This record gives sequence, structure tokens and C-alpha cells, in this order.
Amino acid sequence: MNDPHRKYEIRCPLHGFITLNDWEWSVISQPAFQRLRRIRQLGWTDYIYPGAMHTRFEHSLGVMHVATRLYEAIKKNSREVLESDLGFTQEGLERDKQLVRFAALLHDVGHSPFSHASEELFPLKKDGTRYSHEDCSVAILTSELRSAIEEHPLNNNWRFTAEDIAALIQGSAAAKQGLFWRDLISGQMDADRMDYLQRDAYHAGVQYGRFDLNRLVATTRAIRDKDGGQPRLGISEGGVHAAEGLVLARYFMFTQIYFHKTRVAYDVHLRGAMKELLTNQKFPAPAGGGIKRFLKWDDWKVLGLLAGGKGGEHGKRMLERKHYRRVYWTSETPDKKGVEEAENVRKKLGTLFAAEERAAKSWYKTGRDDDIPVFDEKYDTRLPLSEHSNVVKNLQANNQIFLYVRPEDVGPAEKIVREVKKHGRSS
Amino acid sequence: MADLHESRLALITVLASQAPGGYIGRTALMKYMYFLQVLRGVPLGYRFTLYSYGPFDSDVLADLGSAEALSTVKSELERYSGGYWYKIRPDDHADWIRERAASFLAKYQTDVNWVVEKFGGLGSAELELDSTIIYADREALDRREKIDLPEVAKRVHEIKPHFSQEQVQSHASRLVEEGLLKAVA
Repeated sequence: MNDPHRKYEIRCPLHGFITLNDWEWSVISQPAFQRLRRIRQLGWTDYIYPGAMHTRFEHSLGVMHVATRLYEAIKKNSREVLESDLGFTQEGLERDKQLVRFAALLHDVGHSPFSHASEELFPLKKDGTRYSHEDCSVAILTSELRSAIEEHPLNNNWRFTAEDIAALIQGSAAAKQGLFWRDLISGQMDADRMDYLQRDAYHAGVQYGRFDLNRLVATTRAIRDKDGGQPRLGISEGGVHAAEGLVLARYFMFTQIYFHKTRVAYDVHLRGAMKELLTNQKFPAPAGGGIKRFLKWDDWKVLGLLAGGKGGEHGKRMLERKHYRRVYWTSETPDKKGVEEAENVRKKLGTLFAAEERAAKSWYKTGRDDDIPVFDEKYDTRLPLSEHSNVVKNLQANNQIFLYVRPEDVGPAEKIVREVKKHGRSS
Repeated sequence: MADLHESRLALITVLASQAPGGYIGRTALMKYMYFLQVLRGVPLGYRFTLYSYGPFDSDVLADLGSAEALSTVKSELERYSGGYWYKIRPDDHADWIRERAASFLAKYQTDVNWVVEKFGGLGSAELELDSTIIYADREALDRREKIDLPEVAKRVHEIKPHFSQEQVQSHASRLVEEGLLKAVA
């Protein structure tokens, strides 16, 4: 048996050394976590940015590292709010630090092959909503990872159950006061976003995802709500430009990487091919014994099947790099005329039309990032980031619409688009 | 015919115009959407999960951003001593989105009326509290648990310690009387 107090260091291209304790090491050594080495972070983005071959494995370690830094900063900057408004004690804060590290480490363990690109193929629940990778993460950590979490000697200090970590990942009342930390796992300035923007930019070889992480971490704090609501995660005034940088990094990464026209086309093909490969065109539901069958799906399996000629027309297009071509696109913020013109083009394309993708439905869509609370300690006031930053205030949600056709149809399709644009939407 | 995304934008627009005063705040918008989906079964496709400030789905705010970009609603910042909130009102293209989602809106108009009437008088802290109680109740229901009022008050107080157990129990009691809780006897 390993020394339970041993520390491990893993090199990370972004953060330097990431330190893990023996407990975390034993969890990441489990096959269910090692599978993340075979799930690419950005699907088929390497067809556009060849360096983007990184995986959920390194991202998950990075999120744990950033979440820990944020946690320590909040504890340092706003201990009084944590103690008086949320009732934390010193012991409670130590306990929750380990919980936050595990939740950050394991939040993505349920990703399907090629990450978000295949997430639409999760089955529906009884209430009509779709299972998500977080549901799979919870199912995995309460089954495959349970003994590694619960039976490690270091757990004698805390007596965590797998459900304690699940409650923080999925957002359950069982997380109690610890729910405050959920914004570090899934929120507008969470550790996930702070890691993936920089990591994706690094591997893609672009500069857009950069922002001042150190400054942002140093100024993050819990902010008391003057209206009687719960304390919120926000920043001190000194972090305004770092937060502005985070919002802008997200905007640029969306337009340049996540919603890149060709990257989006490969998402369409991957979904189409996966439907051919999956029983009933869906992944197994994470309930019951489905999670063991789900875990067998990773990028290697899909690539093997595609290389063997499976995956139908979409699989063939991926193999031969004959992807759909974008022939029409609106502005990033189309008005009603723009939306109606897109509908008209789609109608006129008729059988040439192959796919439509909308930024507003993308997994990486940008919403309202303007509401990061900024706290002025001197005068005890709070204002949103948008009141400190004109750039953020004027940044609108991206509602762009792309229309695609098969590469062999580009000529006639472009002729139709030209006609519509020439005569306006009434043609 | 509007798809689900446009139907949600239209609903944001309708809630903004029907809420008391002809505007709605962001907390109210989030919680009304939650009530519509969970209490009235309106198929909005949101994935609400629990935060310390109640049930939340960032897609609601992303939809709000889309609605603002299409000028179906507009947001104005309102300041008060030490804090702020947003007033969301219908904008120039409100009628356009309403027309596009007319059949969806007609089908669920009664539910919209019900939510606005039932929760329209509550402030944001009360909306956070009520929605958290309902979330805890539905979680217990999913686990086939039967819990009593003191137990739900204890669970919610542990999330929101700045509300006393008596305050939580008083809100939970009202929700029981109105038949809105299913696992709490």
C-alpha cells in the first residue's frame, strides 16, 4: 500500500506542477478516470487547428488546480461573509476544500466521445429533459469510483461518501451550505471556464483565450447580498480588467474556435455518424446498468469503427474530409430581417440544404456575462461588471445562423444565396 | 412556426410584459421559468440545478441575451443603496417574437397567468427561498422520500443559514397549503 500522505506532482503546460494527494491519485488511477485520456477536449477541432488534440484528462486536473486557487482566495478575501452568512467554521472550510477539489476533478468524468459534439445523443429522462455528461459523471463516481473515494485512509479524516461529491456536481440540497461553492464548478467565472479558455487557446495555437488568471484569482471573493439573498461569487474592484479579459477571451474563443464554420460542420458529421454506431441512435442511459455500457464508448472506439467503414454517409465524409460547406451565414447579431432572410435561404435551397447550426444553441454559447458582481469595499457598494466596462456592457449575445450544403452542391447553392441577397427576403 | 428556442424567447418577452409593473427582474425571470417548468409542466427543456441562491440554469440568461440582441426585450440597470438589479421590459420587436410563437404562447397562457398571479408579489429573496423549498421537495419525491415540514425546513436552512428554520417552515407551510409540495406531508 502507498504512503497515504504522499504527494504527487504532474506537469501541466499551463499551470506548471499540479499537486495531488494520494487519495486523489488513487481516484485518477481508476479506469473510469483514465478513460478521459481517450476523450478529446474539442472533438474534431484538430481538422482546423492541428494542435488541438488535448484531452479531458489534462483539463480535469487543471480545473481542480484552478478551483483550489479560487477557493483559497475566497477564504482569504471574505472569511467574515463565509463565517457569518454561511455559517462556515475552520473545520467546515477545510472539509469543503477537499470536496471542491474532488468535484472539480470529477465534474467531466462522464463526457461522451469527442466531448460536447456527441452530447445531443444522450437519451431523454422521464421529465422530458435530456441526460447530460454531469448525470453520467454522478453515475460514474457513485459506482465505478465509489470505493476509491470512500475507502482511502485519508477519508478517515472526513468520512465523505461519493454522494457528497455528487451533490456538489449535480446541485442537490444534500450539499447544504457547500452549495455556495458550486459557482466554482459551474458558473460564469468558474474554474472550468478559466482553465478551458486558456488550455484550448494554448493547444489550438491562438492568443484569444488569454486573460490575467493570477489577478482574477487574487480578487475573487464572496459578496454579501444587500437585498437579503445569498452571498454571491464576485470580484473586488481591482479585478475588473481581469474579469473583462475573461469575458472577452470567451467571446473571441467562441467566434474563432468553438463556432468556427468547419469545426461546427464536423460536429454535424460526428452526430450523424454516431447515430449509425449507437443502438437506437442514443447512448445508454446512466441509470441502472447503463453506465458500464456507456463507459465503453470513447474516442478510440469511435475512431476504430469509422476506420472500419462504419458511420454511414457522415462517417465516410469524415474519413475523406469531404465535410459540409457553409454557404450562408448571418451577422453575429442578426435582427428580425436577418433571421427571416436565413429562413428564406433555407427554404429556397430546398433539397440542397444539408444542415443548420445556430450559435444560440451551441454548447459554448455566450450569454449574459455582464453580471459578475464587483464589490467596492471602501463604500460597501456592488455593481455589475458591465457598469465598470463599456466593452462588456455592449457585448451582445451571439445569435449567428450558419447554413450548410454538401460540397458537391456548393455551386448551385451559392447561386441561390446570391439571388436571395440580391432581391431581398421577399424573393 | 417557432422552435423551442424561439418559444422560450417569446415567453421571456411575455413574462416581462405581464409581470407586475410591466417589467421583471433577472431573479424573478429565472424562478418563474423554474415554476413554469416544474409546477406547471410547461416543456421548456431547461436543466435547472440547485445553487445556494435557488434553482438556476444559465440557459435562461443565455436566452435573455438572445432576446435582448433581437430587441424583443431590453434590460435597464436599477441601483439601490449598496446594490443593483435589472428591469427587463418588452422592446421594439416584442410583437414579432410573440407572433412567431403564437401557438406556443396560446397553449400555455393560463400557466403564465397562474405563475404571475401566484408569485408576482414576492421579492427576490422570497423567490429564492420558495424555489429552493420546491427543489428540495421534488428531490425528496424523486427519491420516494416522505418528509415533514420541520425536515424540509432543516434541509433548506442548511443551504440558506441566514433564514431561520421558522422562516423557512412558514414559507413551506404556505406552499403545502397551496398544494405545491408533493413529498412534504
